[in-house]
Amino acid sequence: MKRMPMETLQLCADLISELDQQLTRTKAIAQLPAERLLHRTDPDKWNALDVFEHLNLSSGIYLRGLERAFAEQAPSLRATPTFTPGFIGDYSTRNMLPRADGRLVWRMRTMRMFDPARQHGSDHESINRFIALCEGFIKLLQLAPGTDLNRMRVTSSLGPVIRFRAGDAFRFPIAHQKRHFLQIERLLAHR
Amino acid sequence: MDLLRRTIVRYVELSDRDWAVIAPRWKEYAFSRGAFISSVGKVEDRFYIVAQGVQKLSFPHDGADICVGFAYGGSWSGEYASFLTRKPARFDVVAVTDSILLGIAHADLQRLYAEMPVMERWGRLIAEEVLVGRATREIEQMSLSAGERYERLVKRSPQLLQLVPQKDIASYLRMTPETLSRLRRSTS
Repeated sequence: MKRMPMETLQLCADLISELDQQLTRTKAIAQLPAERLLHRTDPDKWNALDVFEHLNLSSGIYLRGLERAFAEQAPSLRATPTFTPGFIGDYSTRNMLPRADGRLVWRMRTMRMFDPARQHGSDHESINRFIALCEGFIKLLQLAPGTDLNRMRVTSSLGPVIRFRAGDAFRFPIAHQKRHFLQIERLLAHR
Repeated sequence: MDLLRRTIVRYVELSDRDWAVIAPRWKEYAFSRGAFISSVGKVEDRFYIVAQGVQKLSFPHDGADICVGFAYGGSWSGEYASFLTRKPARFDVVAVTDSILLGIAHADLQRLYAEMPVMERWGRLIAEEVLVGRATREIEQMSLSAGERYERLVKRSPQLLQLVPQKDIASYLRMTPETLSRLRRSTS
């Protein structure tokens, strides 16, 4: 698929709007009774808190990488009006999002370092940390039009070998979060 | 929250007016299994009552995790000593199963103690209960045989054997996992 340049301003606005929706929903979820947050469809499957913690672990890599990049690389870069996704960044982001019919492609196994059940578990704080995480992304997205999201690079969660363009380092984790909100809603619909 | 009121009135009498002051200070907290409720080195800010689930109290020693107790249905949870002293916790408290705890922050509880004699009395009674519990366990640890310690646990909290990993039960009973499994086989 041909990778088209996108307007940086529009991209940032779209991502901020997606994050705002996720934040609004998350703040409502934080008020739900503990019992619903802990609900599992199967004893070995994740509950909603585990999903939030999984997002903290995985998106956290990008947020920290972006924060470092904005501090170290951004000052020496000139603002560019467009962003062209990188090959792997674009491919990963597209496959992360549900198709128009709601179908998910790319079912995958969670890596140990992103699995809360095999790290330090999850609790109410996981939700608060997720809120802080989204706010962190928004803060950087507001600065993003003033820099070059193409030339600024961030190490991906796939390992140090794969470095995303900064624009993809926003797009990919936010799409990943969106995908997991489907799972969170499914879990919370159960009662 | 109903559990909270029932738990408090086991010790002291509460009027509806008392309850209206007390209830808003408490909050429900969810912990998935494996989550740390308190951890070594961090000051415990909350006192908890267990609404659901089992938590284990342990400390790391020589590469092993030494289990010193469990909290479950209706009992207290969290790192009480750290909560009282405001010093770093010496124990980890970890959710063994998905847990719901009713918690109150240190400052809120102190305020309740200061404003309501009935709550201060409650606080004294639970502190006494904890102290007596510790003394009892100390004597059991020193004087009972492995088999007797196991039987005590079976009688007092049989559900723990189903919910808690064997290695934690063995550590709690100060015996090897092998001894524990031999005891389980011989008594079943």
